[in-house]
Amino acid sequence: MATEAELMARYCDGDASAFRELHARVAPRIVGYLARMSGDRALAEDLAQQTFLKVHRARSAYVRGADPVPWMFAIAHRTFLDEVRRRKRSRVEVAKSEHGVPEQPAAIDGAPADAAPAGADPELVQAALAALDQLPPAQREAVILTKLSGKSIAEAAAITGASPGAVKLRAHRGYLALRKALAALAGGSTP
Amino acid sequence: MSDPLDQKLEESLGALGASPDATPALGPELEREMAELAPVKTRVPARQLAGILALSLLYATGVVALIGLRRDLVAMPRWHFVSFAALWLVSFVAIGWLVLVPARGQMMPRARLSAVVAGCAGVLLIGGGLLLPRSAPGLSTVYRPTVSEVIVHAGCFPWGLLGSVLPMLLATMALRGSVPVGSRLTAAALGASGGALGGLVLQFHCPITERFHVGLVHGGLVIVAALVAVLAAQAGASNRGARTGGGQG
Repeated sequence: MATEAELMARYCDGDASAFRELHARVAPRIVGYLARMSGDRALAEDLAQQTFLKVHRARSAYVRGADPVPWMFAIAHRTFLDEVRRRKRSRVEVAKSEHGVPEQPAAIDGAPADAAPAGADPELVQAALAALDQLPPAQREAVILTKLSGKSIAEAAAITGASPGAVKLRAHRGYLALRKALAALAGGSTP
Repeated sequence: MSDPLDQKLEESLGALGASPDATPALGPELEREMAELAPVKTRVPARQLAGILALSLLYATGVVALIGLRRDLVAMPRWHFVSFAALWLVSFVAIGWLVLVPARGQMMPRARLSAVVAGCAGVLLIGGGLLLPRSAPGLSTVYRPTVSEVIVHAGCFPWGLLGSVLPMLLATMALRGSVPVGSRLTAAALGASGGALGGLVLQFHCPITERFHVGLVHGGLVIVAALVAVLAAQAGASNRGARTGGGQG
């Protein structure tokens, strides 16, 4: 199977099928990231479209052999922040968790995308999602990137433009906050 | 991670992360542009760096030729003059390399590292100018080190800024599209790199060897050029933001 770097190189050489394969691989992850950040699936899809339009227009910035995914995530991150600022200017909230129940992401078959897979307690998953939405934005993005999107600290730092130390600290604090929030529900104890 | 609560939390986060997300549609604008997809020339950072260094050094030589060599050049202590010229040059090249050439396997600039190195270079160049003044007696200009004198003799500063313009512009063009985040740090490093070339121009042009002049005016060029670049990046982002509803990285 071709790597993302190989697909990106072929895409830059004018291979549209390589772009579609790259999009199919990366776009769901980017939508997932944006949906967790914004709490709004429709907005996430819209921002993902903008992200890929920007990727397309900036594809000549690609360095052959490099992994394009962190760069794509960074563009998605930038696009999200720009949207937050734009909405702040027009006084519309992006994250809705403080004012209501976050919109449920849905898979293509219409089933809720956040439905817990076998093995995970659905109640806890929903509680984790709710607790995640309550985190400060910087902690939320650190937890989403490192725990949900599977990025390393260095990758998350490159995507957000923060220092690795700051991302590590935010992810740790966010994790502790989630743990505390879930402790009440699970009846567990915090150290 | 042996705590059951940690295990449950990890499972829950893993479940959230593993949620199936359907591939979203491309969007009409992108579909239109994809219909006319053409091959593009991708970025080759090392080649860009070599080109920018060569053009910038030619440009700096031209600026020095235009504004004239310092009258005390041949009479200056050679080791001192060469060491400082080398320090300016190394700062210009090293910061430029860090900004333009990403780490292996990456395509975004090493914004934070290059900004830190730029800061260190600024401190070194300002400190070096303040602490290690040397002059050619009878040929160099040395004045009374008062604030007003430093300001009066800062006329070489615009020439230094002029010397820093081309590398900043070339590097900005080279990095187009590569800096979705960390643009302020990247701009600061680009400015500092250009400022170091401007300082090199002044090293060959300005005969004033008074320590505060060399430290604060010549050395300070690195900091001022960095600030100018950050402000320019911010202004550019604000303009884009006003047009597109976006903002600044």
